[in-house]
Parts: sequence; structure tokens; C-alpha cells
Amino acid sequence: MWAYIVRRLWQMLPTLLGVVLLVFVLFNLFGGDPAYVLAGKISNPEQIDNIRRQLGVDQPYYVQLGIFLKQIVTADFGASWSTNEQVSQILVTRLPPSLTVLVPLLFLETFIAIGLALAVAYVRGSLTDRAVMMVCTVGLSISILVYIIVFQYVFAYKLGWFPVQGWGNSLWENLTRYALLPIIIALVVSIAPNLRLFRTFVLDEINQDYVRTARAKGVGENRIMWVHVLRNASIPIITHVMSALPSLLIGAFLLERFFSIPGIGREVILAVERSDFPVIKALTVYVAIATMVVNLLADLMYKAVDPRVQLK
Amino acid sequence: MKESSAGGCGTGGSLADDDPVTSRRAWRSRTLAFALWLCALATPAFGAADPAKVLRITFEVAESGFDPVRVSDNYSATVNEAIFERLLTYDYLARPARLAPMTAEAMPEVADGGRTYTFRLRRGIHFTPDPAFGGHPRELVAQDYVYTFMRFLDPKNRAPYAFLLEGKIEGLDKLAAAAKQSGRFDYDARLADLEAVDRYTLRIRLARPDFNFPYIVAHTSFGAVAREVIEAYSGQTDAHPVGTGAYQLKQWKRASKIVLEANPGYRGFTWDFTGNNGDAWDAALIDAMKGRSMPQIGRVEISIMEEFQSQWLAFRQQQIDLLNLPSTFRTDAFGHDDRLKPEFVDQRVSVYSFIAPEIIYAYFNMLDPLVGGFARDKIALRRAMILGYRLEEDINVIRRRMAVVAEMPVPVGVVGHDPAYRSINQRDPALANRLLDHFGYAKGKDGYRTTPDGKPLVVRYANSGSVVDREHGELWKKSMDAIGINLQVDVAPFGENLKAAKACKLMMWESAWGADYPDGDNFMQLLYGPNTGQSNNGCYQSAAFDAFYEKSRTLPDSPERNRLFLEMSRQMEVDGAWSLHLSRERRWLIRPWVRGFKRHPILHAEWQYMDIER
Repeated sequence: MWAYIVRRLWQMLPTLLGVVLLVFVLFNLFGGDPAYVLAGKISNPEQIDNIRRQLGVDQPYYVQLGIFLKQIVTADFGASWSTNEQVSQILVTRLPPSLTVLVPLLFLETFIAIGLALAVAYVRGSLTDRAVMMVCTVGLSISILVYIIVFQYVFAYKLGWFPVQGWGNSLWENLTRYALLPIIIALVVSIAPNLRLFRTFVLDEINQDYVRTARAKGVGENRIMWVHVLRNASIPIITHVMSALPSLLIGAFLLERFFSIPGIGREVILAVERSDFPVIKALTVYVAIATMVVNLLADLMYKAVDPRVQLK
Repeated sequence: MKESSAGGCGTGGSLADDDPVTSRRAWRSRTLAFALWLCALATPAFGAADPAKVLRITFEVAESGFDPVRVSDNYSATVNEAIFERLLTYDYLARPARLAPMTAEAMPEVADGGRTYTFRLRRGIHFTPDPAFGGHPRELVAQDYVYTFMRFLDPKNRAPYAFLLEGKIEGLDKLAAAAKQSGRFDYDARLADLEAVDRYTLRIRLARPDFNFPYIVAHTSFGAVAREVIEAYSGQTDAHPVGTGAYQLKQWKRASKIVLEANPGYRGFTWDFTGNNGDAWDAALIDAMKGRSMPQIGRVEISIMEEFQSQWLAFRQQQIDLLNLPSTFRTDAFGHDDRLKPEFVDQRVSVYSFIAPEIIYAYFNMLDPLVGGFARDKIALRRAMILGYRLEEDINVIRRRMAVVAEMPVPVGVVGHDPAYRSINQRDPALANRLLDHFGYAKGKDGYRTTPDGKPLVVRYANSGSVVDREHGELWKKSMDAIGINLQVDVAPFGENLKAAKACKLMMWESAWGADYPDGDNFMQLLYGPNTGQSNNGCYQSAAFDAFYEKSRTLPDSPERNRLFLEMSRQMEVDGAWSLHLSRERRWLIRPWVRGFKRHPILHAEWQYMDIER
């Protein structure tokens, strides 16, 4: 297995290089020239040249690419072009608020969706199953923006159950006060697609021979569903959940904007709007690395869940 | 406002000494001075602010940092305005805006017909304590302003407001050019035209007369900084604002929360503004505030709320005390008769409304082969487009009736604005059609017009794709369809559009300009030919306009100069250089415990003039 891990890690290098090249080419083709925005209301060509020189965007492309690669190796992406804040500082200060919302959300949506998927799959074809699927379809059809606006108005403003917006200084305060409504909204939005997806995974398993055999042997329905079926359905579920992990790094833009959460999602959008390449570079590279690492972990988890899986 | 010395200890005269401490006498004098300074800090300053008086407000866009020279956004500038002090500021109530001394003892002495300005500083103003001062009190002196001015031209600072000083002071631009070569700005250079004559006297000699120079030194970015602080926090000056103003930065969670606390060493003043005759709002303010020792508000908490719904609900939940009402929520706050809804009247919410000193306009690229130039048919095409634009729909639908028509490039509240002036380009689609027919822009089979020589006429309107931009794109399209002009909306990032505009490569774009200082010059320069590639993004080059403009720059504020502003406005209209649209209305909803609020057209941070009475 160690040989497999080392081989996979080694294979990450060309993938990462591809990502770097893609980001570099895309930014230089479509990213816009930040100098004109940074120059302010009135600028002249000399000022624009001065800014371009300071940002290093006047350098030949191969030099800029070399600097990009050096930044990845040293994990130092410098400072934001628009705010002068160190990129590392941006990540360190903006990620925790995003994770305060997204980590509990990931756990809750996964376990609730799994539980509900097992339940509706067990009564497949029944009125309950059809009703739940219909609700899911309706829920899926509504934009998250509508959920945010309605929930913020009704539950935060009208009923006063939650603060309308804000962010505190301690994790506990944020988790129990400010993050609750955003988590609930995200949960309502994400449960429907996850439930539909996980239900199909469970249905694929529920008609297998081993389930009939287990029933014939007198195994209880709870054990059949939660142990036998779930274990076999878990590989696609793991794939799905693990693929969602890297997105934790890019936050939840709309929720962060509406609830004034100082998270990474707002920074990502601001960086794109401002052509703030250091921030874009850092986030893209870290998300790419996270995706590759998470994929490797998912493969290792397949092996742990199903010993028949061979790592080659 | 009447200034006063801080506390009962007294701080008159210089506290810091330039001479080396070599004798016992000098040591004693320094010890005494330091003790006096500590005493001044420990004693509540005149009008000591009450920490329990907390003002909670919101910014709709995140700040970028607090180095005055490096900042270009209004939100950071607002905070800087409370922390850093300029030589001059504005009278809080006077309209149109009127300059008043800030750290200067009085208005500057002007000599050489507007070329030489001499400022005398108040004594005993101190920066807030900072480790960069090595534990010593640090008095504000004239050299601090010399240093502050120099920073604008230091290429390293990328100062967005460098244009306010460029080419104005002999030697300063040469220092900037040398710094570009050497990579280091020589702050120790002595400039004869930017000179600290003595510890408290600053003399500036301009390359040519500029009667607007006092406005320039009152700009927020000209707040005095201390060289020691800038050098101690080199590269991180955005995060270490140390000034002499009424407030100091207490807490900063970037893009989330900014907390300011009253500066305990601030000298304070008495609220004694006189207001404008017949202005009921002013009269009420004077009634409530006159004679109070200021500042009163001890703490200002600024939350960043980017979404209008969040701001609106936060105000309704009383999480914030003051709201610049987003136009989206006008109908939630005001009825059909435009009166505040009873729900808010019952809560004793008050409303302050004013027209922002800004213009929103669309400009044509005057160098473009299709829409540019001064040939009669080109002028007719542009003027027909201006006449055809449905401005009332812009104001009533897109701006939700929170805007007024801008008749001339100099907006309401700015020196040079004439309320009697009426644009010749009143909206009239029928007239636009007749004009196009007359000049041979015939309609083809598809209903769209062609050029007089029969070529396709496709006008390309640049757009950056934001919600308001999209709405404007649609309105332009609809308006032009009605007069048979095929207008296509090209969406590109703002920066790319700006780059193309400065290179005179955009056919048409919509833009906004807010006053940097309340003088018509700040707006008319947008049309001055030599400013092409800098601020004249329509690349308008009219000899007649330029002659009027150049003449206006030689004159102080006067009826003669105002007449020139009118001539320039008319010239621009006749040439059809801009489709001038509107100025936005700002409405503030104010909770009853907030006292003394009046939005200033140029200043951003009114907190030191306000009070909280719960």
C-alpha cells in the first residue's frame, strides 16, 4: 500500500503543474489588468507602468511563471494586490469562519441524508417515498438565494430566533448564535439532492442477493439496512462526500455575504472582481492540492470499507 | 467650531525638543514635558467622549486599509478621516461646503495671486501614542505635512490621489522621477517650494496659481502621518494608522468589523456651528447640540454588510443606528406619497435626505470613427441618442425615484452649479427620430438605421455586467430600439473596460464621478482635452471647451468663473460629448437617540459632531 501511496503522491506533481499552467494562462488571457483599477480615479500611463512594474506583471511570462512556481514551493504567495494583506494571513483569518459553517454542515447533511435515504429506500414505491421525492424535487428547484432571503426575513427578523447578521469573537458564540441560521439554510438546500442521490445508491444495493440471503438467515431489518446495505452503498457515498471536501476551502459566498460572515467565499469573489492574482493563485493551488489528497484518501477508504478493493 | 486646549494640565508650546539631551537642565525640561503630556492624556480631554455612547453603523463595501495616501475607496477614507487630520477641513453645516481650519490655526495666507500658501499649525497637537515614538510624546509639526505631501509622489506608494499634487510643486515631480530610477524616494531632500519654514509654519509655492489648492489639502488623503510610524511599519502601514484625530483604531477584523474609540488626547472643540438661514434641519441641530463639548461619542462600531437586505433588517432590528437607505427598500420605508411609513414614525425614526455631489453620465468616444468626431452628422447621431435615452425610466425604475436629473456637469452642492441652468438635451425620442431622418440615417428592412452612406450602424455600449449595469444596458437597448439604432451591449470586466476607455478604444460607456472637492473644476476637468488618457475617458477634445477651461483655472471662485462653467456645459451639450443623466439622492434613516447628524457632501465621518442620547 505504501508503494501505492508514494506513486499517487508522485503523480500529483504533473497534475499540479497542469493546474498551474491552466490558471496562469487563463488569468493572463481573461483576468484583466489590475493596474487600471488600482491606479484610482485619475491615472496616467506612467502610473499604470509603475503599478505594473511593482506587481511584476510587466515581466516576461516565463519569469512570472517562475515566480508562481517559487511561491508554490515556498508556500508564500506574497500580499494581496488590492489590500496589501499577506495571502497567508487572508487564508488563516478567513478560513475559520467558513469552516465554522461548512464543517458542521457537511456532517449534518451527510448523516441526515444517509438516514433519510435508508428510510425512504426501505419503503420504496410507497406514498411516503413518493411524497419525499416530490418534496426533494421542489426543494431542488428553488434557488438558494430564495431560501436565504425568506429564512433571514422570517426566522431572523420576524420571529427573532436568530440574529439577522453578524459574527462574534469566539468559536462557541459563532457556532451557537451566528452560524446556526446559515447552517440550517444550507442544510435545507443540500439535503434534497443528497437524499435523492444516496437513495439511488441504497436502492442499487437493496435488491442484491446478499440482502435476500441475510433476510433468509433471519437477520433483523435494522442490521440489514444499517450494516449490510449501508456498508456496500458507502463507496459511492464516500466518493460523493470526499469530493465535496475541497470546496470547504472556497467557502459559501452567498451565505457569507448575507450573514456578514468574514469567510473565504467573499474573498474569492472579491479577488476575482479585483483581478487579485496572488489570492486567486493561492486558493487555486490549495484547492487543487486538497482535491488530489482527498481523492487519495477516498481510495484508501474504499480499501478500508471493502477489502475486495485492490490498490494497484 | 471653537478649539480648546486639552484638560487642565495645559499643553501649550513644544513638548518635544530637537536639541540633544546633554545637560541636566535639558533632562529636567524633558521630564517635565513628558509628565505634562502624560497628564494631558490622563486628564479627560475637553469634551471627553463617553465610552458608553456607542454609534453602530454599516459599510456596504469592505475597507481596504488605513494608510491615507494609499487608499482610494470611500470606506477606508471614511475611517481615515476620523483618525488623521488635514490642515483644513469643512464647516460641518455650511452649504455649499465651506473650508475651515483643522490643524491649521486659521485659513492659509495666500500670496502671489494664488501661487503661495502659508499655513500656520496649532501648537500642542499630538499623535496618539505608538511604540514607534519610543515612549515619547510626538507633536504634530509642519515637517509632518512636508513628509505627507512627499509620500503622494513616492512611486512605492502607488498613491491613487497623486494627481492632486502632480505637476503642482516644483521639485516634487523630479524627486518622484529620481525615485523611479533609484528605487528610493529621498524624503530628506529640501524643497524650496514645499518647506517647513519653522516648527509650525508650512509654506507651499505652486508651479502656477491654483485657487482650489486649499480644497486639495482638505482632502482626506492629506491627513498627517508621522514618518517614524510609516518607517516602523514599512509594508504594513495599512494596518497601523496613527494620527492626531478625534478617533483611533481599536479593533480591526478585516472585511468584517472596525471599531474606533475616541482619542483620549484629542484637543476637542465646542459645537457652535451656525448653519444655513431658513434650514429647519440646521435649526433643530443647533437647538440640540449648541454648546456641547465634542466629541461625545466614545466608540464607533462599523460592521461590513454587503447585502442591502442585511442592512435593512439590521436597521429594523435596531442593530445599527443610522442607515443610508438602499433604494431597493425605498418602498418598504416610504409610502406612495413618499412619506415615512407610520411604523417608522411611531419609532421616531427621522429622515435626512440630500442630493449627492456626483454625476452619472454616459460618454461617447469622440475619436471613434462611427460615433466620434465633430462632423454635423456625427454630432446629430450622438445628440439623437442622448434625446432618445429614457432618463425618466432610469430615475423611476432603476433608481427607484431616488435620483434627480443632472442638468449640467457641475452637480448640486458644488461651487459653479447653477440651479437655473437647463440642458438643451431634454429627452424627446420623437425629436431624436426626426434628427436622424434629417441627417440621412435611414431605416433598413430590419427596422434599424444605417449610416448616411448606407453602411450598417451598430453602436457598441460597454458594460461591466453588474446588476445596475445590466439594467442600464437593457434600458439603453430599449431606448435605442425605439429610435431605430442597433445598440449592442458588450460585457467585460471593469478593469478591462477602463483600460480600453483610457486608450480611447471604447465606443460608449456609462460612468459616475463623485466630488473629490466641492468645486466645478473637479468635474469640468473630465472634459478637458489634455486629460485624455487620464480622466477624460471620452477623449473629448474641443478647442472651444479647452479655452473656457483654461481660462477658468486662472480665476478664483467668482461670477466670471461660474459663467465659464456654464459656457463649458453648453459647449459639451452642443457637441453631444456626454449623455448627462442624474445625481443620486441619499436618504438616511436615523434612530431617535442619534443627535447632530447631517450628511456632509464631502466629509464622510461626521461622528465627532454627533451625540448619542438613549
